[in-house]
Amino acid sequence: MAPRFKRVLVANRGEIAIRVMRTCRELGLSTVAVYSEADRSALHVRQADQAYCVGPPPSRESYLSQDAILDAAKKAKADAIHPGYGFLSENASFVRACDAAGIAFIGPPASAMDAMGEKTRARAHMVKANVPVVPGATEPFKTLEEARAFAEKVGFPVMLKAAGGGGGKGMRRIEKMADFESGWRAAKSEAMSSFGNDAVYLEKYLDQPHHVEIQVFADGQGNCIHLNERECSAQRRHQKVIEETPSPILNPTLRAQMGDVAVRAAKSVGYIGAGTVEFLVDSTRSFYFLEMNTRLQVEHPVTEWVTGLDLVRWQLDVAQGARLPFLEPLHPRGHSIEARVYAEDPGQNFMPSPGRIDYLRIPGGPYVRDDSGVYAGYEVPRFYDPMISKLSVWAPTRPEAIARLDRALSEYVVKGITTNLRYLRRILQHPDFVKGDYDTGFLPRAHDQLLGGDDAKLTEVAVLAAAVYAQQRAEKAATKISAATATGTQGSMWRHGRQR
Amino acid sequence: MRTTRYYAKTKRGQEPETVDVSPLGGQRYAVTYLGAKHELESLVLPHGAVSLIIDGESYAVEFEEVGDEVRVLVKGQVTKVDVADERKMRMRAAGGSFTVEGKQTIAAPMPGKVVKVFVKVGDTVTEGQGIVVVEAMKMENELKSPKAGKVVEVAAVEGTAVENGAKLVVVE
Repeated sequence: MAPRFKRVLVANRGEIAIRVMRTCRELGLSTVAVYSEADRSALHVRQADQAYCVGPPPSRESYLSQDAILDAAKKAKADAIHPGYGFLSENASFVRACDAAGIAFIGPPASAMDAMGEKTRARAHMVKANVPVVPGATEPFKTLEEARAFAEKVGFPVMLKAAGGGGGKGMRRIEKMADFESGWRAAKSEAMSSFGNDAVYLEKYLDQPHHVEIQVFADGQGNCIHLNERECSAQRRHQKVIEETPSPILNPTLRAQMGDVAVRAAKSVGYIGAGTVEFLVDSTRSFYFLEMNTRLQVEHPVTEWVTGLDLVRWQLDVAQGARLPFLEPLHPRGHSIEARVYAEDPGQNFMPSPGRIDYLRIPGGPYVRDDSGVYAGYEVPRFYDPMISKLSVWAPTRPEAIARLDRALSEYVVKGITTNLRYLRRILQHPDFVKGDYDTGFLPRAHDQLLGGDDAKLTEVAVLAAAVYAQQRAEKAATKISAATATGTQGSMWRHGRQR
Repeated sequence: MRTTRYYAKTKRGQEPETVDVSPLGGQRYAVTYLGAKHELESLVLPHGAVSLIIDGESYAVEFEEVGDEVRVLVKGQVTKVDVADERKMRMRAAGGSFTVEGKQTIAAPMPGKVVKVFVKVGDTVTEGQGIVVVEAMKMENELKSPKAGKVVEVAAVEGTAVENGAKLVVVE
């Protein structure tokens, strides 16, 4: 099918909006930005060919406003909308609204999103498609006895979860049968008070699993392939910080197995476009379906590095009816790691630190890629995600990739706001990370190590530098005062006195 | 050349360490710190960047000022350094809080101008309460009461110049 898009609206902000626009430009497509009132000065507005304000700063009233975004698309005469990640990217009703408006949504059909959107529904679909899921119930229990019998069957430890819950709330881990009844009651009352619904279901608790995900891609002709995995176990507060591919814990057999299962999962819901199937991998290397992200993933650059592909280009091609260019599994070439640079303070429980970026220097050199959405002089708004950039590298081997990312991070300079740059380097230097032996419990476990331990020599250099800097500033100030005195302006007795 | 003494802290509550800086001409300095003498060449660049060569070792240093402290970025490590010269130390001594007995004189820590007097004789003040503002080098410095008590004398007059050490207010 011949390409038919001329103009693409990117319904997002920050680095991902810019990432998508870059590929559009390379393909000769015109780009349309949308922005909230807080984002008038954002970089993605300047990068686009057209820009439309879609509402006030809160996302709910702007980036999540389907009407405002569709209005902008109509005004701009956009043929297609790329949703990026987050915001409306996994919203099936928005997909239907785009369909109704005759504007192509660059992503899967609404039906596939529906199937994967809700956790228990996705789980039921996966069980039907013979995809392994974390052993557990798909429905809430009616009685304690029923729950107890089920816990016995899947084996302890188990996790009780509020059916109406989310975001890590309403979950309770139970170690043994003796604790079950009290845990059950506590979980129910917590679910009631937090979500107004005391329905509770149960899953086997996986002890510090790895989070490994498979990139899949499907076209509209029923073809689907996987593009290998990404290891995403380095997480703080359930958010990914560092991702890499290949995963240090996968071998070719396991990769092929997980890849096949991921493709099966995608096919079972009629998936089209880029998607990611997330798995938990336990210490015995058994893997379980966690969820499917029905969009482009934040960490897609590492896959691009080892495959040599432009995934946004593939998204655009598939959305215009193209077939996948090949269907056989692709062997990853070399190793890639990405670090997420956040405007936050790891020493203050990762508190976001919005504010003005006074100075910015982005690293360079061989095989270094920075996907950033900010610039020097830019005020990082307090309304959105604190991620300011993704820094990724490629190297032939994992140790070389670690050294390269560490080197590149050492060149990164952001002044005016607090960032996690140093924390990121500490992760890369940590023995467990270097060994490739880290699970989702790694960052919380190593937290103190990742913060403390200044290098005494560098502290000494900092003191020497600061003292001399103070001296140089005093000298400069004295020069200014004597110049002012010499010209007769603002000369006062005490200033004369101070100069001696 | 004249040596200037600085007081540096890298941790809160730490006793300040002395750093003696002697200009050697141009951007070169002899610096004595922790008993060792170093020769530094410090080239100041725009945006708070400094190219520093210490005894032949090269460091790309970035400065960022946050209140009284500077954040110093060296090879990826951020160190918060609190640097004060003699004058600043005196200011702090005057502005700092201690538990003190008897009559206390709040004196000008440097030559300057009295901008504001917040109290009059007979006022009751608490420890740390602002008493007088003295302006020097275009900076306003609020001097605080070293103790809780009563104001027994006010020598400072708004708008007048004062010498280093001049009596401003007495609290008992």
